[in-house]
Amino acid sequence: MSKFLRRLRYWIQHRKLDAELAEEMEFHRAMLGGESGPGAAMGNTTLSREDARAVWIWPWLESLWQDAAYALRTMRRAPAFALTALLALGSAIGLNTSLFTIFNAIALRPWPVRDPARVVTLHRFGREGGGDFGIAEYRYLAQYSRSFSGLFAARNGERVNLQDRPRQLTYVSGSYFRVLGLEMERGRGFLDQEDTTGAPVAVGVISHSLWENQFAADPEIVGRHILVDDIPFTVVGVTPADFTGTNPLRNDIWIPLAARKLLRPNDPGVDRWLTSPEDCCTPVAGRLAPGATRAQAEAESAILIEQFRAHHGLNKHESRIVAAGTAWIETPHKKRQVVPVILTLFLAVTLVLLLACANVGNLLLARASARRREIAVRLSLGGSRFRLVRQLLVESMLLALGASGLGLLMALAFPGAILRRLTPDQAFRAVPDTNVLIYTAAIAILSCIAFGLAPALHGTRGRIAEGLKAEAGAQGTRRTRLPLRAVLLSVQVAISVILLANAGLLVHGMQRAEEVDPGFDVRNTTVLSIDLPASQYTGPRSMELTRDLIAVLDGSRQLPACGLTLNPPLSNATYSTSFQIPGRQGPVLHIYTNEISPGYAAAVGMRIVAGRNFVAEDSGRDVLIINEAAARRWWPGESPLGKDVLANRKMERIVGVISDTYANDLSSIEAVLYFPLNGHWGAPFIVVRDRGPASAERIAAMVKRIEPRAQVRAEPLAASFRRVLQPSIYASELAGFLGLLALVIASVGMFGVFAYVVGQRTREIGVRMALGAQPSEIVRLVLGSSVRALVCGAAFGIAAAGGISTMLAHALPGIEPLDPLAYAGVVALLSGAVALASAAPASRAMRVDPVRALRWD
Amino acid sequence: MGKQESLELLPGTLDLLILRALVRGRLHGYGIAQILKAASEDVLEVGESSLYPALQRLLLNGWVTAEWGASDNNRRARYYTLTAAGRKQLAAERAEFERMVAAIHKVLQTA
Repeated sequence: MSKFLRRLRYWIQHRKLDAELAEEMEFHRAMLGGESGPGAAMGNTTLSREDARAVWIWPWLESLWQDAAYALRTMRRAPAFALTALLALGSAIGLNTSLFTIFNAIALRPWPVRDPARVVTLHRFGREGGGDFGIAEYRYLAQYSRSFSGLFAARNGERVNLQDRPRQLTYVSGSYFRVLGLEMERGRGFLDQEDTTGAPVAVGVISHSLWENQFAADPEIVGRHILVDDIPFTVVGVTPADFTGTNPLRNDIWIPLAARKLLRPNDPGVDRWLTSPEDCCTPVAGRLAPGATRAQAEAESAILIEQFRAHHGLNKHESRIVAAGTAWIETPHKKRQVVPVILTLFLAVTLVLLLACANVGNLLLARASARRREIAVRLSLGGSRFRLVRQLLVESMLLALGASGLGLLMALAFPGAILRRLTPDQAFRAVPDTNVLIYTAAIAILSCIAFGLAPALHGTRGRIAEGLKAEAGAQGTRRTRLPLRAVLLSVQVAISVILLANAGLLVHGMQRAEEVDPGFDVRNTTVLSIDLPASQYTGPRSMELTRDLIAVLDGSRQLPACGLTLNPPLSNATYSTSFQIPGRQGPVLHIYTNEISPGYAAAVGMRIVAGRNFVAEDSGRDVLIINEAAARRWWPGESPLGKDVLANRKMERIVGVISDTYANDLSSIEAVLYFPLNGHWGAPFIVVRDRGPASAERIAAMVKRIEPRAQVRAEPLAASFRRVLQPSIYASELAGFLGLLALVIASVGMFGVFAYVVGQRTREIGVRMALGAQPSEIVRLVLGSSVRALVCGAAFGIAAAGGISTMLAHALPGIEPLDPLAYAGVVALLSGAVALASAAPASRAMRVDPVRALRWD
Repeated sequence: MGKQESLELLPGTLDLLILRALVRGRLHGYGIAQILKAASEDVLEVGESSLYPALQRLLLNGWVTAEWGASDNNRRARYYTLTAAGRKQLAAERAEFERMVAAIHKVLQTA
């Protein structure tokens, strides 16, 4: 072994050692030259040097090559083994690599900008919670900070109509493109003076894909005017093709922060957003100045923020600023949310990999015992055990290499497709890169050790004499049977039970969730949303429109039940207000609210439980309806009708009680106050009791008659319902896929073991049959020990699955960790797989011909 | 290890001779060649092409170590020193070699 270490040292330092050798030989030559004149040649110096170097390298490489060639020959002689092992291992490695590719694309990659290592995002942590920054705060930071060569603010996620198509818009500071250091495809990025609060300039930068798709890659795009929500903006640049923005979602157009005033002229919130020292929630990032560290940037920003607050007479915040890298995983508050999910996923695919390793390990073990004689012969001829183990490990490594090749192919195809299915609007590039290659190589080597080392050590352990004596039929006695095989079999069964059980729990939990009555009619309702040029529609205009819409649609005789609301069921939005009951003590509560028209309850299938529904004349009156949950909570055992409450600091009278619904998710029912819809928050949603498109089209036409520029989109309520269930659906699909894959791999493994055991004990079976044993006894004898291993594995797997699913239940509501139906299903599936895997070997055992078996040699 | 190799005359024997030459103290490659030449009364002239691979082999097996030092004429030269393992190997190989020579001698005399 020390020889191996010296060789390793040579490999590491070979450059230096080669130079030393050359110098040494040069010395020799000089001495010879001094002896008998320059003519005394020493032969070919280079060749001599090569010969001397080869001492270190050649035998090693040569024997490695021999091992590899030998391994390939052996595998070609057992193609079924090689193929099974490659497929089992390849699918497991492919799964791992695909998951890592996705993880890498989403979470590990920094922003696609110049020198991303110097760009950091700023995060504030304080006693009053964390968050981002106000625009005024950002401008102060940008003006006084010395540890950044440049700072920028970017607020994403606004939907706009760009030339009448819905697009994503991001507001950015004038410094954005300069700080990121992008080389624009066309034109330029923004100038600092184009983003001055109070002096907005209508300029925009569009994305490469928008330029190609909507503007046909127009070479004259720079300088063109485009309409954003009916406001003309001048295109000044196009981003490079590989720039996907500084957030995970696709983005189509960027405009300066100050230009929000142009886009939303009637919205008083914009002025507050741009100038209020107390505003929050705009992400800020910057490029560190040469030589500045993150710690310096954090400390300086914290001081500047306190200065800013003191300057504006705000109380001390004592906030801590964290400068984090731009890769998604480094975002501080994301970490806590996402890491458990990622760990669960990696745990699951690692289990599949372990299962595949146990499977291939078992196959190798069976082969090793079949090759016992060969190995014994080689040992007796003086082959060292180390050398033999290495030979067997080279075989494993070849398998692992082939499997990682398969895995990488999978990683090329799957991750992109999966991501596109999860979120069509994302901008990730899910292609394998260096990180993925390193990851794949690492798991290939680890799995090779996991499945290869034990069988190799195990197989070369036996005493030589025994191995030489052992004949095909004689070694299957209880004494020499390898217990490692039983352990590996148990591991496979346990892992597949864990994965199957969790899949069963998720799928069953899913089915229960689908059957939950959310309190409204999911199947027969369609929701229509109205897109208006937001620049024109605020306050009075939208109230006017809402009044007109209610008049035409609400309770219309020509349509199925139809109503309007501020916030349709299962949308992503929530509205809330302060709430107090006069005469009762206690703090001011915050409570969910919604606004509805008189026809709404009938349209979505809610019932008025007590009191009355709204009528058209209620609009503008101080009346409200509460849901049953609110009635139970504040007026248990008495009627809330006619009671007065303070909502949003206004006295309102309760006129009715309406049935409960799940509002935003399916986990809990909250107390809700319903007010008469009046439209001051913007255009309402229309709900109609009809699943087909016919009513939706008629309503869209009616809306267009009132407001020709409105765009109406219809979506069945069932689609929103599915969206809420989507994470659970994906989780159960993935778990089901992993569980089935595990079962298939484990079944192949079981089949291999059964077939091997029967083959090995053919002679013994023959003897027993000749002595009158019944076929059923034979089957019990031969498969008994394997079945014991199966039962052990299953028991362990069920216990572990119970533990894991109890933890999982915290992350995914709707799971019942000890769901008997799921476990019964797993046991049934597993029994089926065992029956399938043992059928052929068992029937072979029963058909053994005693006469032939006894002659067998 | 190596028992059969010593039968192939030169490579195994050269290793033995180098080890023997180093018994009296450290030498550089050129020095080893000089000693072998002088001790064999000019019969053995070891060329660089066989000397340096042999030295590398001895290094690889851990029988000698090498270090840089100044030669008699004040040039940088690599000196080889026998290790404990090398001494043991020399004793073993030498015994083996002498038995072999005696055996060959006997065969030659009887024949």
